[in-house]
Amino acid sequence: MTPPAPRHERGLVRPYVVTDGRSHPTRNTFDLVTLVMAHEDRPLGGLSPEKRRLMELCLGGALSVAEIAGHLMLPVSVTKVLLGDLVDSGHLSTRAPIPSAQLPEAQILQEVLDGLRARL
Amino acid sequence: MSHHIPEVVIWCLAIALTVAVVLLMRQRTITTGVRRRADQLEDGLRARDEEIGHLVRVRLPAVADSADQSVPLPGLLDERLAGTVFAQGMQSVMELFTRAVDKAQARADQSAKAALKASMRSLQGLAHEQQLAISDMQDRHDNPDVLRDLLEIDHANSQFGRRAQAIAVLCGSWPGRQRVASPLTDVVRGATSRIRDYRRVRVHSQADVAVVSRAVEPVVLAVAELLDNAARHSQPNTTVEVSLQPVHNGACIVIDDAGVGMDGQEVQQAVAFLTGRRTVDVSRLGDPPQFGFPVIGVLAARYGFSVSVDTRSPYGGVRTVVFLPSSLLTQLDVDGPDTTPLAPPSRQSTRSQRPGGRPHPRPVERTHPGPVPPAPDAPPPVTGSTAGGLPKRRRRQPAAGHGRTPSAPLPAEAPQERTAEETARRMGAFARGTRNGRADRHQGLDRHEGPARHPDRAPGEDEGNPYA
Repeated sequence: MTPPAPRHERGLVRPYVVTDGRSHPTRNTFDLVTLVMAHEDRPLGGLSPEKRRLMELCLGGALSVAEIAGHLMLPVSVTKVLLGDLVDSGHLSTRAPIPSAQLPEAQILQEVLDGLRARL
Repeated sequence: MSHHIPEVVIWCLAIALTVAVVLLMRQRTITTGVRRRADQLEDGLRARDEEIGHLVRVRLPAVADSADQSVPLPGLLDERLAGTVFAQGMQSVMELFTRAVDKAQARADQSAKAALKASMRSLQGLAHEQQLAISDMQDRHDNPDVLRDLLEIDHANSQFGRRAQAIAVLCGSWPGRQRVASPLTDVVRGATSRIRDYRRVRVHSQADVAVVSRAVEPVVLAVAELLDNAARHSQPNTTVEVSLQPVHNGACIVIDDAGVGMDGQEVQQAVAFLTGRRTVDVSRLGDPPQFGFPVIGVLAARYGFSVSVDTRSPYGGVRTVVFLPSSLLTQLDVDGPDTTPLAPPSRQSTRSQRPGGRPHPRPVERTHPGPVPPAPDAPPPVTGSTAGGLPKRRRRQPAAGHGRTPSAPLPAEAPQERTAEETARRMGAFARGTRNGRADRHQGLDRHEGPARHPDRAPGEDEGNPYA
């Protein structure tokens, strides 16, 4: 049997059940690269299964919104609604994205590109 | 001599008179008998006429209308005819007619079922397609307003799909979707997704069991019908309480509503449908058609779970108990199926050695449901999760560049995964090239360029390497 692709399985619990019908996050502070950190002292009891999973993910370390959405296999916009709730309830806090690293120089990039072309 | 003549005449006359009187008397008796007989025959004829009329007006229509054989059919009008050839003839007419009606009904039912099944199949396909499209859109659009609309469409589409599915099942079709084994909580919430008043459903305890793959969709469908009944027959301001209880040889889904409840006759009818005692006739579901219980009955009989509705709920409505026997249940390993198949063993070890990978504080009790595992059915969990007792590897799972390991391939996601893998490989090569280039240039410099990234990033980069 060919196992179904993830998207099919995502179909079991629909996003409106996950967010309880809401589509607007309570706060508008999230973008894809916002980093989210969990507060370990908060109890997980009483959270919906998705929120609990989200917390479990984040307890492992800071994650970006995009990553969380990917791991939960939920649309980013739905994830934001959950994140908004959890930030409100004090389970999570956010951090601005880390500035990007020093960019490699053009010459190196060119060399790498040449190298890759030669190889591929 | 002449005076003798009148005497003779008189005697003759007397004799003739006597004979005439006797004859007359006899004739009279005969006539009376004949008249009586004629009356009798006329009566009989009338009775037969009436009997024929009764047959046409009452008895045959009764046969045609009777839903099942249990109701006694009307008999002869005139008991005197019982046992006659005429009555036997009538009886054989009845039998022939009954047989013809049965045959016609069976044929009509069959063709109705076939037609419904075929059309529902295509509707199901469309609903599914639409759901995929909606999911895609939900992924693509980040605007909350758009999301709101999409959620509404999604909700309507799920209900539509459920209807089509239920009718198809009733017509003898299969529920239609193959899913992987899913936690019971997910199954119930999946059912919740398909009813109109999903916001009124509260799922309480989280049982630590999962439903085997083949039973997921049927149970979802049956529970959805029950939840829909519960929600529709109770006030909009009440909630429908669902609790999941592991029991000795299975698990129970208990659904309580605070609605109007069912009276004795309704319960009896429901039980008849649920136990499969009453056969389902598509053409006689009432108007509007009542699909719920017949569908649940069909599914329960086919997959071996049982549903009872004959208890009153403490909330005043109906308490429905769905009992799933152990044969339909399975245990998901600690990590859950949603992670293991995707978490290749090699990764786990990387993860465990990772400095930043603090041991997870909460050994996940594999209760949390969430979107159902995308994973290939069974095999990977075995290799994946147990070793090391690491409860959390989710981080590895769906992000763009992952998923490549010889031991845990993702056959399911073949097309996209290929490209993602390739991308990842290129990224890895790129990262390595960059590093090499830097290393060549400034020999003394640290190989890790740039400011320290977040601890979580480091393994991310490492992950790139195997792809190169």
